[in-house]
Amino acid sequence: MHAVGVLEAGFCRAVLITYGHSARSSDSLLKMLTSMNADEAVFGHFGAAAGYALAARRAMHEFGTGPETWKHIAISQRKWANLNPQAVTFCEPMTEEDYFNSPWVVEPFRRADNCLITDGGRAIIVTTVERARNLRHPVVSIMGMGMHNPSAEVTMATHLTGPTGAKVAGEQALRMAGITIEEIDACEIYDCFTYTVEITLQDYGFFRRGEGRDWFSEGTIAPGGRLPVNTSGGLLSEAYQMGLTPLSEAVMQLRRCCGMRQLGPETGMKKYPEIILCSDNGGILQTHACYVLRRM
Amino acid sequence: MKDKYAIVGVGYTPQGKLPGRSSLSFHLEAGVNAIQDAGIDPKEVDGIICYRHFPPASGEKDVTPYLVAQHLGLKPTYLAQDAN
Repeated sequence: MHAVGVLEAGFCRAVLITYGHSARSSDSLLKMLTSMNADEAVFGHFGAAAGYALAARRAMHEFGTGPETWKHIAISQRKWANLNPQAVTFCEPMTEEDYFNSPWVVEPFRRADNCLITDGGRAIIVTTVERARNLRHPVVSIMGMGMHNPSAEVTMATHLTGPTGAKVAGEQALRMAGITIEEIDACEIYDCFTYTVEITLQDYGFFRRGEGRDWFSEGTIAPGGRLPVNTSGGLLSEAYQMGLTPLSEAVMQLRRCCGMRQLGPETGMKKYPEIILCSDNGGILQTHACYVLRRM
Repeated sequence: MKDKYAIVGVGYTPQGKLPGRSSLSFHLEAGVNAIQDAGIDPKEVDGIICYRHFPPASGEKDVTPYLVAQHLGLKPTYLAQDAN
């Protein structure tokens, strides 16, 4: 969104957005965790897993979600990763038994509910559609976008069980795009935890509050499902490249160069996707960005 | 602004467990690959945004967009940290 801002203001012609992190092999994340010294840390509450676990636990109480819902998300995304040779878990299938045998990280999250910690990087370039028409790939445009940041300290937040920023950001993005949610062919959702996928799709309006368990069952978001989600495997099963995991996958799917995991006839869909919705969020559900991309 | 802007380049790097690589090296490799994928002249890239990030590992420098620009040999008019 910042990139579009500086392009629109005329400051730039092409903006490169980069991400990189030696997260798996260095002490970077450990340094972050051990430097957390907020009031809650003395009670053992610190880090993203604990913050999202707090939100997820509250959601279990309020609308009856839990591992029976999240297992569908973890397993479906793993099925996508098993079709993506670039995914870190390409060769590691996940059964329901595997999911429930996965060890606790912070209850109610098992390791299978947590995103991967990976070394690696990802980058994208944003420019005008006019310029893009003279470049080598089919044009993937930003049809709509929105941002909403219901920011508050997680321990005082009122939005843990929704609506998160996804609601307003999603409405803004769809309004700009001039489409309804029914026109979305697939989603690439920022999935730091399985619960994040559930609450984000719920707040966008794909299903009603608490209806996720039924909605996710029967492979809705898995290969061959009616709304494919996180088709690279996502942060849970491909690699952690922050918001660029979802965005880059949406672009590649719309370009139709995703090999075995390509949405379309390759994975049992009637047609190739034309419109894909992407999300990113930061903090503990404190900031949210939504993008609608399409192949022009 | 509907359909006014586009994502024209995507850059990947190896990913998983890659000991000995710095965070900066991943920014640079992904950046170079995105420029190549887009097929644009690097000189055309006049803005760099580094995604929101984590504390630098021991022995590593904090990755700033200025550092990325320097290493890529770019002279952008706009540099920023933290996109969303």
